[in-house]
Amino acid sequence: MMNEEIRMTNALRTPKTAWRSISALLLVSSFVLLHSSFSPAQQPAPIPAVKPATDGQVWGALIFAVNDASKLTGSAEKAPEHQKDLSQRLAKVFPYQHFEILGQHLQDVFREYESWVVPTRDLFLKVDSKGTAADGGLNLHLQVWRQQQVLVKTDAVLHARSPLFIGGPKWRDGQLIFVLESRPKK
Amino acid sequence: MKTPFEENHDLIRWLDGEMSPAECAAFEATLQNDPQLAAEAAEMQKLSLSLKEHLPAELPVPHADFFNSQIQVRIAQLELDDARAASQRSESAISRLMQWLRTPWFFGAAATALLVAGFAWLQIGAASGTTAILSSYTPNPTVHAETFHSSEAQATVLMLEGLEPIPSNQPITGFNVHRAEPDAEMASTTLFDASGSVLLVMAKDARGQPQILK
Repeated sequence: MMNEEIRMTNALRTPKTAWRSISALLLVSSFVLLHSSFSPAQQPAPIPAVKPATDGQVWGALIFAVNDASKLTGSAEKAPEHQKDLSQRLAKVFPYQHFEILGQHLQDVFREYESWVVPTRDLFLKVDSKGTAADGGLNLHLQVWRQQQVLVKTDAVLHARSPLFIGGPKWRDGQLIFVLESRPKK
Repeated sequence: MKTPFEENHDLIRWLDGEMSPAECAAFEATLQNDPQLAAEAAEMQKLSLSLKEHLPAELPVPHADFFNSQIQVRIAQLELDDARAASQRSESAISRLMQWLRTPWFFGAAATALLVAGFAWLQIGAASGTTAILSSYTPNPTVHAETFHSSEAQATVLMLEGLEPIPSNQPITGFNVHRAEPDAEMASTTLFDASGSVLLVMAKDARGQPQILK
């Protein structure tokens, strides 16, 4: 009886049936692999992004001021809605007729980390929060950098709608001006 | 009579030059009377000189740049912690003030005060809420910082005089940065544009100077 069973099993193992078994095994393996590795339900949960604490928000821009309009660079940067009168205000302080935004940066002021306001590679600002001032302003330590050289270090209390104009270096018959303003906290 | 341990201790102190002149004289007299100790002293002196000749006096610190930058980051974090603690103290004072403001008699007095304050504000304008420069420092002695408030421009001005002009042939290309993400482990900040694309990465080198990585 036992020998008969063995003979029958061997008889079934023709090359054709063996090939079918291998194909079926491969198919099942592929199915299992696909569903275990790529199914969205089985994916590991993404690491939750912890948003760093902030003390406020600042808007910074690098402005090119010049008298001859033909010397403007043709930058496409536009002033934000709340700064539509920026050119007129700058003209009250700086002796130029034309003001052009070269770059701008809206930046959260991180509570635990330094923040950078980088409207251009050439002139940018490092901001360290010192918390909220007694009068509600944003107490900051600022450093104006020109590439690898710090131009000025300053402690300032910034208020919304009261920008800080920093008169920078001369460039191409004009002057570069850094504008920094605190934005109301959302 | 000294034990061998005491003699060895004296020998080490003698070799290291830690003995007073009197102790030194006494020990050298002992050496003359004790050939075995004298031989040991000569051997150790020879060994000490050989070590000094072959080993460098100072060893370079491995990964000094990274070590320095990590210390600087830690110092900055401690300063921010101090500033935050001071801020929390002021917040608790504000909460005490709020309790006082909830007293019943306050509303009548507040209405009168508001009328007076409103009138005064209309007369003199809003003096508070103005950006102020508390202090400034220019590391380059040829550069001077002048601060003033322009009521016409409704702005505070920090004028830097004596700066070297930027060469005319140097192009200045601007960014429009919308968002930044700090990375505490890498001590860097990634800046993104409006579409979420990375514009550049800000980091600092061992000297604390900014590095624009992209």
